[in-house]
Amino acid sequence: MSRHRDFRNLNINDELDDDALSDGGEYDISPEDEARLVDALDQVRNIVGDEGESGISDADLRDVLWDAHFDVHSTVNWAFDEKERRKQAKERKAAREREKAQKKAGALPSHMTKSNVASAATSRAGSPVGSPMKVAKKAVGASDKASGASTSRRGAGTDQRQLDMAAMNLGPTDEPEGPPEEAPKMSFAREKLLEEAKKALEESGDKKAVSLVVIGHVDAGKSTLMGRLMYDLGKMDEKTRTANERSSSKIGKSSFSWAWGLDGTVEERERGMTMDIALQTLTTPRRQITILDAPGHKDFIPNMISGASQADCALLVVDASTGEFEAGFDRGGQTREHLVLVRSLGVSQVVVAINKLDMVQWDQDRYEHICELLRPFLIHSGFHPSKTKFVPVAAMQGINLVHRTGENGNMLRQWYKGPTLVDLLDELEPPAREIAAPLRIPIANVFKGQGSSSGVSGRICAGVVQVGEKLQILPGDETAVVKQIFVEEEPVPWAASGSNVTVYLTGVDPVNLNIGNVLCPPDQPVPLATTFTARIIVFDIQVPITSGASVELFHHSRDVPATVTKLLATIDRASGESVKKNPRVLTKGIAAEVQLSLRSTATAGSSIARPIPLEPFAVNKDMGRVLIRRGGETIAAGVVLEIFG
Amino acid sequence: MKLVNKHIDKHGAGHVTLRPEDDEDMWHLYNLIQQGDSVRAPAIRRVQNVSSTGSTESHRVRLNLTLQVDKVEFSSSTAQAGPSADGSSDPNSSGGAPSTAALFISGRVISENPHVKLGAHHTLDIEANRDVRIEKADGWDSVAVARVDEAIIPGKGAEVGAVVCGEGTAAFCLLSQHMTLVTHRVNVHIPRKASSSGTAQHEKAMNRFYATVYDSFIRHIPYANPGLRAIVIASPGWVRDVLYNWMLAEASRRGDKTLQKALKDKTMKVHVTSPHVHSLVEVLKSPEVTSQLKETKFAREGMMLDRFFKMLGTDEMRAWYGPDHVALAADRGAIGTLLISDDLFRSSDPTTRKNYVAMVEGVQQKGGEVIIFSSMHESGIQLNQLTGIAAILTFPLDVEVVEAEEKEAEEERKKAAEAELDGG
Repeated sequence: MSRHRDFRNLNINDELDDDALSDGGEYDISPEDEARLVDALDQVRNIVGDEGESGISDADLRDVLWDAHFDVHSTVNWAFDEKERRKQAKERKAAREREKAQKKAGALPSHMTKSNVASAATSRAGSPVGSPMKVAKKAVGASDKASGASTSRRGAGTDQRQLDMAAMNLGPTDEPEGPPEEAPKMSFAREKLLEEAKKALEESGDKKAVSLVVIGHVDAGKSTLMGRLMYDLGKMDEKTRTANERSSSKIGKSSFSWAWGLDGTVEERERGMTMDIALQTLTTPRRQITILDAPGHKDFIPNMISGASQADCALLVVDASTGEFEAGFDRGGQTREHLVLVRSLGVSQVVVAINKLDMVQWDQDRYEHICELLRPFLIHSGFHPSKTKFVPVAAMQGINLVHRTGENGNMLRQWYKGPTLVDLLDELEPPAREIAAPLRIPIANVFKGQGSSSGVSGRICAGVVQVGEKLQILPGDETAVVKQIFVEEEPVPWAASGSNVTVYLTGVDPVNLNIGNVLCPPDQPVPLATTFTARIIVFDIQVPITSGASVELFHHSRDVPATVTKLLATIDRASGESVKKNPRVLTKGIAAEVQLSLRSTATAGSSIARPIPLEPFAVNKDMGRVLIRRGGETIAAGVVLEIFG
Repeated sequence: MKLVNKHIDKHGAGHVTLRPEDDEDMWHLYNLIQQGDSVRAPAIRRVQNVSSTGSTESHRVRLNLTLQVDKVEFSSSTAQAGPSADGSSDPNSSGGAPSTAALFISGRVISENPHVKLGAHHTLDIEANRDVRIEKADGWDSVAVARVDEAIIPGKGAEVGAVVCGEGTAAFCLLSQHMTLVTHRVNVHIPRKASSSGTAQHEKAMNRFYATVYDSFIRHIPYANPGLRAIVIASPGWVRDVLYNWMLAEASRRGDKTLQKALKDKTMKVHVTSPHVHSLVEVLKSPEVTSQLKETKFAREGMMLDRFFKMLGTDEMRAWYGPDHVALAADRGAIGTLLISDDLFRSSDPTTRKNYVAMVEGVQQKGGEVIIFSSMHESGIQLNQLTGIAAILTFPLDVEVVEAEEKEAEEERKKAAEAELDGG
């Protein structure tokens, strides 16, 4: 840092000391040399640009040319390097000044803070999504130009710069020296950020962001439908499509070509089956949709739960072909289980896509029949009829996804006049977001980022996060600094509750980042629990729940072995009053209050279970929902009431 | 375990001398020895002598001590000292399983000895192949005698090696008649597929995971031991198939013929629903395993517990659990199968133990079946969580009706007692 400062100072001194060269000084230049120098200078100027543009004075260039024995090439190189160096020095200075202003703002009483921040914001052109990097660049650009101008006017230079600084309202320029910070600085005060986030939510009326989990029985065509939809909406390019088509037909599985757009791993492609959540984004005319394509096979329900806990709405895909719908909808089929699961995870809107209708010759009776079977089940599962929509589609041919024109759509057009799938997706309403609550990001995926940073992705359950913020990783005693935030694969300066984000963290060893951890502010950590009470609803199960039952507890992307330690009371589902204290067993359909304890996973010795981050439902809805599974079926869903530690 | 000497008279008084040989024998001894028993075993004690000039010398003396037991402690494999120099810790040595379990018996010395005073405290560290003589304070009851009989059946050791795995997690377990040891756990972080970073990271991590599992397998599963009857690879999804193929390929690449042969001959691939260790119960009731290991104790335990839970689902009145409820059922002679955990017999309170022993004997007399679950097995752990005792009844009984009857009987007895008092 100090080197750069010296450099800058030196520069200014040079500029002020304007007769350093005109006097000749220590140089004794012969007329031939002078001629060569002028000649070379002209050439350099041609490349670098004039003084106002490049910010480098003739005097400097002459010096360098002399040193380089009039070599134009090396001088030009130097000029560009010099330009870059000056820019960087200024950028750093601007960053430091901003930080200082921030600190000062933090120290001032609140009303002062607001006005200060507000004025700072106005000076930053007030754009709600303007990234701090951009802002910094703008500032630098401005001062760059100013300094360029100042060099021509010589003596006025420093004054001009000071004026510029004053105009930026950033405080005095002389500050203590500090080592260069790698991590970017926070650019917003919390209050300001909340305001921005609220404003952004209100203003996004024409392009609201929702996340959508795609569910349904195995082989219902979820991935195929999504692959086709991505293609029709221009998200998947022709090249990828033909590549997928070619390689899938090469191994004799051409029917999976659309699904390959989402099923990326070798194993998924070999087996022709989604095994893990695929995350994609789609843009419909009025919505920005994050797609979470869930696996349908019952062995991968843990992955499906991880995806569903990141979603606002669900798209249920059912197979209309004879026998297949029944297989998926019968006991043990995933159509039922998925619907119940997403409802228990707080999803209230569902679009039902009746797929593969081309296999039954677009039989309207078949469509109506399936709808009639699904409707009562949806209502029983807790989906409001006004929030459930049905749509007939054929994913492979792409009929009724975006439009149903063309020859293939003829048979459908005869009896169906309703909206297309995209029309329905366009009407999905994002739920209310908890912006003011403390930040919670349950980590759904951890991967290696570029350089020393690690990438994590997940959905923000509550609060706002911004670049430069320090976050704690729970469980554990580690903190990390947010380096970058990506939403929909675009870098953003901040993100608010409800967004599916990818966050790049620095200053943390990747071994401390695990799927299932929760990122939260260090001053408002999420509570950790090993024993807690929950109010659960028991699903349609064969073997009743006894106290001491070994179960698996699912919470966001984490599943841990747990034990139902106590059956506290059965509860009347309507009134919420306790019916019977200390029941012996819980059979299907009962609502009850139970105590759950996590089981130790240590090899031997200590039987102390590792706690997981949980919050009571009353505090944070998203963090307070749990699912209980046993032997491969979901046996209950519940909300956390109280945490005992 | 070898029986060296047994002298029990018809009242149950007497002593038994046993020679433990492996971990499981330690577990048997742990279950046999109770507070108050007297135990005689070899010990090493540091003896200090003060000479007439006041200088002290201390030396170690090997001697047999008889203790009155205050406390018995068992630890399965925590004190594993890693790959120690002696050959016994090599899992593939044919001479029995490695001894990793430790049994500590502490109490006061009750036999006189030139080196140790009467009443001095000592903790015996029971070693393999050293005789232990046990004398019961309250005499040998039927459960204890049965335990001795069971323990001296020869030919055991690790019978099944199991790997319970999922994507990125694996647990290595060794199952013998009375114990399940989780010898090792592998946890490799697997990045999921993502649109931004592609699937390369996922596949790289999966390969790293398979390699780690392979290395741990060699170290922790005694695959070359002829006593090992089966190797079970259990997982949800297809991890087990991929892992099996990967290991076979790797074994042939490294030229490990023994492993190749063991994998081909002994491996069973079992589908389970979760990658956690408690899905071992599912392994044990899967048809592949039961058909091969029907007669083993752990398979029987797994099947019985499964039957109990199924009964609880179909006919709640015929499946009872909890000590009080089961006692009521036993009084009515309704118990067809009694599931009881050995944890209950280890109860330090002799009267409690006596009650359970009486219940077991009662059920057996009435022709019922009694299965004593080992709490070192996953099924035993689950039974322990279910209060440790459960019963499948021969005819349905309503818990509430029975409880009401009991209450009535109690009141009548009280009334009778009062009447007697009034009368007297």
